[in-house]
Amino acid sequence: MLLSSEKKTADMRSAYGDTLVELGRDDPRIVCVGGDTTDSLKTKKFGDKYPDRMFNVGIAEANLVSVAAGLSIAGKIAFASTYAAFIPGRCVDQIRNAICYPSLNVKLVVSHAGLTVGPDGASHQQIEDIASMRTIPNMRVIVPADAVAVKHLIRTIARTPGPFYLRLARPSSEVIYADNAESFLIGRGNVLEEGSDATIIACGLMVVMAIEAAMELKRKGVSCRVVDMFSIKPIDSELVVKCAKETGAIATAEEHNILGGLGGAVSEVTAETYPVPVKRVGVRDTFGESARDEEIDTLLEIYGLTATEIAKAVLEARSRNRK
Amino acid sequence: MGFNMRYLDLKRRIRDVRMWAIQGIAEAGSGHPGASFSAAEIMGTLYFRTMKHDPSNPTWEDRDYFINSKAHSAPGFYSTLAVAGYFPPEEIRTLRKLGSRLQGHPVRYSEHQKHHSVPGVEYSGGSEGIGLSVGIGIALAKKLDREKAKMNKVYVLIGDGESNEGQIWEASMAAGKFKLDNLVAILDRNRIQQDGFTEDIMPLDPTKDKWAAFNWQVFEVDGHKVEQIVDALYKAARVHDKPVMIVANTIKGNGIRHMANNPQWHGKAPPKRQTEVLLEELESECLIAPSIIAGERENYEDKIRKVEREGVDMIHLDVMDGRFVPNTTFFADTIKKLRPSTSLPFDAHLMIEKPLEKVQEYIDARCDIITVHAEACTENEFKEIQERLINAGISPGIAINPGTDMPNWLYRSLHDLDVIIVMSVNPGFAGQKFMPEVLPKMMAVNKELMEHGFRGYIEADGGIDATTLHQAYDAGARIFVAGAAVYGGGDIHGSVIQLRHKAAVALEKRLLNHSTRLNVRSDWMKARKHILIPYANELGIEEELHAIK
Repeated sequence: MLLSSEKKTADMRSAYGDTLVELGRDDPRIVCVGGDTTDSLKTKKFGDKYPDRMFNVGIAEANLVSVAAGLSIAGKIAFASTYAAFIPGRCVDQIRNAICYPSLNVKLVVSHAGLTVGPDGASHQQIEDIASMRTIPNMRVIVPADAVAVKHLIRTIARTPGPFYLRLARPSSEVIYADNAESFLIGRGNVLEEGSDATIIACGLMVVMAIEAAMELKRKGVSCRVVDMFSIKPIDSELVVKCAKETGAIATAEEHNILGGLGGAVSEVTAETYPVPVKRVGVRDTFGESARDEEIDTLLEIYGLTATEIAKAVLEARSRNRK
Repeated sequence: MGFNMRYLDLKRRIRDVRMWAIQGIAEAGSGHPGASFSAAEIMGTLYFRTMKHDPSNPTWEDRDYFINSKAHSAPGFYSTLAVAGYFPPEEIRTLRKLGSRLQGHPVRYSEHQKHHSVPGVEYSGGSEGIGLSVGIGIALAKKLDREKAKMNKVYVLIGDGESNEGQIWEASMAAGKFKLDNLVAILDRNRIQQDGFTEDIMPLDPTKDKWAAFNWQVFEVDGHKVEQIVDALYKAARVHDKPVMIVANTIKGNGIRHMANNPQWHGKAPPKRQTEVLLEELESECLIAPSIIAGERENYEDKIRKVEREGVDMIHLDVMDGRFVPNTTFFADTIKKLRPSTSLPFDAHLMIEKPLEKVQEYIDARCDIITVHAEACTENEFKEIQERLINAGISPGIAINPGTDMPNWLYRSLHDLDVIIVMSVNPGFAGQKFMPEVLPKMMAVNKELMEHGFRGYIEADGGIDATTLHQAYDAGARIFVAGAAVYGGGDIHGSVIQLRHKAAVALEKRLLNHSTRLNVRSDWMKARKHILIPYANELGIEEELHAIK
């Protein structure tokens, strides 16, 4: 069973922190580097359990990721974590040269990505990271949709050698996957809903909205496939092409700038392999703004990150479908 | 201070590093000679002496790590690895070319990068300011493994221009916090960065105070004196609960006089057609070794202190036993007492009978070079002495008197011979007159031995002064023992300057002649103009130099 049968919410960061503790128990090579945000990232639990293997370097992200590189050179599996605004926001160069170029075993797991950071405002709303991380050779980019996916994907990246960038959102979010779902392979997307008229390819918190949009469209008689493309790099090209061929139109949805992110990655595949209309839903190349937690839904509405927007995008893509 | 560094062999290897580096840079047409040369002694001392590593097993678990954060010193770093045995030095000629394993900035070696790197490179550098943090990561990991593995040291070379990067100071704070006493950073303090002098672009001083304030144990050395680097690294290994910073004061481009201390040569390649002349210059490094038995009878320690201040290279110790030579000077017990007074290498010249019976005393007195007389031992005795010296990390030497020919058996021991003293007086007394009749022998010895694979130094001893130095120089000597010429007159400062000046004139003359043979004389004089001006009169090139724009 892939999808959860009950409706509940869970926190991605706690899923990360708890999984890291479990990994640390089984493998002494697991270490963690934090940057004065360990409480928030829930890596503090790991530090409480394994104080020798937790290194808090303070508010110094360039140093943070480079120390992680050094740890991996000496044989450790290094998790480096803070807010997405700072990793990769403040240290793309170090990630490129110290981690990706030598293809080191460093896992950048960051939180507070996208607009849903909320009250901190645009300075902390990281919406460029998928684009910047995905263009660096050797880096793989993972955006899980819920806490269950986080749990599985953290384990997967821990046992897969080489650099990873894994992006978490701040809010507690709806759980999509069944607890025992096993289908989280790097380079593969998950088809959550079948459909024949169009496909929504989404990642992160937008996957829930994609499912909602598909339901909304179903009521209008449009059969919509929904794909959770948590593996943005390597992307599941085969699945993208299959969707293009079988459904003829694609909408993408991400909590990221529409430039260079998931929408960009999907468009690259279709444009080169099997061109079909693609409509991207995301932040439309603008900075966000502050919103209190209870105002986040409105914030997302203002910036066009809703199920309704996704449904509109599907219809628009379909209308341009020459099939 | 005699930490088993086999001084002359170390100097020779570092000389080779510079020679390979300049060939690589000239061949590539780009690269950074300045940084390669300022850090040559630092990297050489680490790889050839201090670090625990194995070129035949680069990923040996018990190895020490070297992180070259100022990675633009790549030509010097590659050459150091090559001379250490990680790959054939000839490959340096592919530097920076398409398809080469020697990328412009070194890449961490791995299966996946094996076409763009060489074994032994632990870190991909090029972006400044990152390496110290990476070193911290390795040091932290090694501390975690302490119970399982032996403690591995992590050495990180950083630059002073690079220290503009904020990340250096992030790392500095972190290393202090984690009390990483298995981490040693070495600052190549050459005071020049790409746009000019560091103190104009972004002042770093007070450098030592800054690092000390960040909770590091700080040592300061002359970064071109290997004995000081060895000494500081030895002390660094004995620091507890703190990371160590060694501030190495260096000269950018050191080794090629017109590149030295000149910001223009930060990242510029010399013209390929001048390479041979540059190699000749690198091979011609002169060492001055004052002999403390010369001059007024006074306190030896005081004499050592006086010449150390003048930047001489080593202290020549004439040991005479009253039997091999008629006079008696001092023995190992005196040397032992003098040892703590200086870090300068001790060049002990044993003019004694039966040196094999006594050599252990001089090993124990921590001499750095021990030379015995060919006339005083048989081949087998010399071989045994040589072996004991090599095992003790001491440079072995052999001396021959003016009337003695090079013994034939010596050809069988050339590989591990670091110095040959060709006496230009009959030994036994200080202050004798130079015997020019030994010059043809010196020249022949030099030529023949080189042909038989001798890679060490020829040392001229006896009557060397400002009037005779150039003759010995032209005959191939590169170490000059100066006794009366330094201590005889009373003006030690002036005497050392004069000797250096004469050595410089001899060098410039030699290089000019070489440039003429290679048809690059005017180019060479143009590149070298500011160096040649003070010697123009002695070299007889005043008009020629004046005509060069």
